[in-house]
Amino acid sequence: MSTISAKRFDMEDIFNSLNLGVCVVDADSKVLLWNNWIAKHSDIKETDALNRQFEKVFSESVSPAFLTALKHTLTHRLPVVLSTALHRTPLPLYNASEANQQQTRMYQSITITPIQSQLNESCCLIQVTDSSTSIKREKMLRSHSEILKKEATTDSLTDICNRRFFDAHYEMAIAEAKRQKHPLSIFMVDIDFFKPYNDYYGHIAGDNAIKQVASALKSQLSRATDIVARYGGEEFVLVMPHLPQKIAEQFAEKLRSAVFNLAMPHINSSPFHRVTISVGLCTGIPENDDNLLNKADAALYQAKLKGRNRCICLPLCETEEYLEQ
Amino acid sequence: MSSLSELHLDALAEIFSIGAGRAALSLSEIVGDEVHISVPYVQVINSEDINATTLSLNSGRFGAVSQYFSGPFNAEAVLLFTEEQALKIVSDMMGSQMGIDELAEFEHEAMCELGNIILNACLSAMADILHFTLESSLPSYRVASADEILHRLKKNSNQPYVMVLHIDLTIEKRHTTGNLVFLLSSTSLTNLVIHINQFLGSIS
Repeated sequence: MSTISAKRFDMEDIFNSLNLGVCVVDADSKVLLWNNWIAKHSDIKETDALNRQFEKVFSESVSPAFLTALKHTLTHRLPVVLSTALHRTPLPLYNASEANQQQTRMYQSITITPIQSQLNESCCLIQVTDSSTSIKREKMLRSHSEILKKEATTDSLTDICNRRFFDAHYEMAIAEAKRQKHPLSIFMVDIDFFKPYNDYYGHIAGDNAIKQVASALKSQLSRATDIVARYGGEEFVLVMPHLPQKIAEQFAEKLRSAVFNLAMPHINSSPFHRVTISVGLCTGIPENDDNLLNKADAALYQAKLKGRNRCICLPLCETEEYLEQ
Repeated sequence: MSSLSELHLDALAEIFSIGAGRAALSLSEIVGDEVHISVPYVQVINSEDINATTLSLNSGRFGAVSQYFSGPFNAEAVLLFTEEQALKIVSDMMGSQMGIDELAEFEHEAMCELGNIILNACLSAMADILHFTLESSLPSYRVASADEILHRLKKNSNQPYVMVLHIDLTIEKRHTTGNLVFLLSSTSLTNLVIHINQFLGSIS
């Protein structure tokens, strides 16, 4: 069966119709076979390639890694692969492009296999496939996945981190602080009288206020380790490692004044009639079941009770005393 | 099993060290930096006795590059790295940074190439020194768990012997260890021993 079908086709027609480069060289690396695909992409006719040394067929140079691989296959008779990832464009092959465009060298995957000629000569079969498309697809998928990753962790209104990112980050930051025994500071921030603001100025103005507050908070951060996230509607949270208590308290005050200094009018917020925030801070070295987030939230509640537009700090321990103050 | 003495194993370790040197040279040409590969020791064991400790298959998933070799002896050769290490090697070689879940088609191909270089170098050194020729299939790469790998090694009743080469690889100052495993039939092992004996006879 196979002999019959082999005779019904001219093998040369098959080689020339293949959508991959096929070339055979002998033990002296002289070209014995040069198919249409490789002729087309190298712009070198079969007649100009046959019986010439492979590397001398091209006007440009062939990569040294390719020549080493070819030599290895000819010497050791073992098959060799040259991946796109490590070699990109070993042979001077090009993709046909628009006349006015600069030709770019084709990304290639190459395999070199030892074969025996009918005269018992040691030869090598070189197969070349075009990997430009898969590289392009790969790059596209990667950039899509980067965009999606960013979108999945960013709050669409304010462009700061979202709750999902915060939840994951908070857990890691706590674990890290426990392991390294360093202090961690959590700041809970809430816009004062936000509902009356929304009712009076409308939701679009409300969204704008949230955006401005978010950007004012973000502008206070300068270390790569610090994050600010939108926790809920008009609530924000900041996570900052390695701050001594005193510095953390000063920083909370900086946050408060940054928003205060935006001087956004808020007719229903007495006594300042501008948009203000309350800040609850908890700072300390977390141990066991310590919950910095709950303490920071309790501190924020205190700040609200005491008249808003202020910062309250609760250390991790001695909560009761602080609550009495 | 008793047919392989300390002397045989030493000779094999010597042969594979030469192969490792060749592989390091090829790899350093590709990455443009120093690459060191050494084979600290070789073991031949019954595949029934193989376990996670012999192959340092402690946990997680592994990248395996396989080639089938044939000639005076036949063997399936499998180069094993933990998936994490495989990824680090490839990203070092490519000079890129990417996560494990982003390992895609062309990194697999790069891993195939790395395995191909090491396997071919070890086998061609063996063929040169023991004076025979080997043929080989093209390499293939797959990712498998430690259990899957052990299961495959053990269930292979046609190839009851396993030759394990421990490999130390340093690329761009990053040190990695892996294993090269040869699955051998008893005939293949006997033939290998005959060739080693001829070699030892010729030098003594």
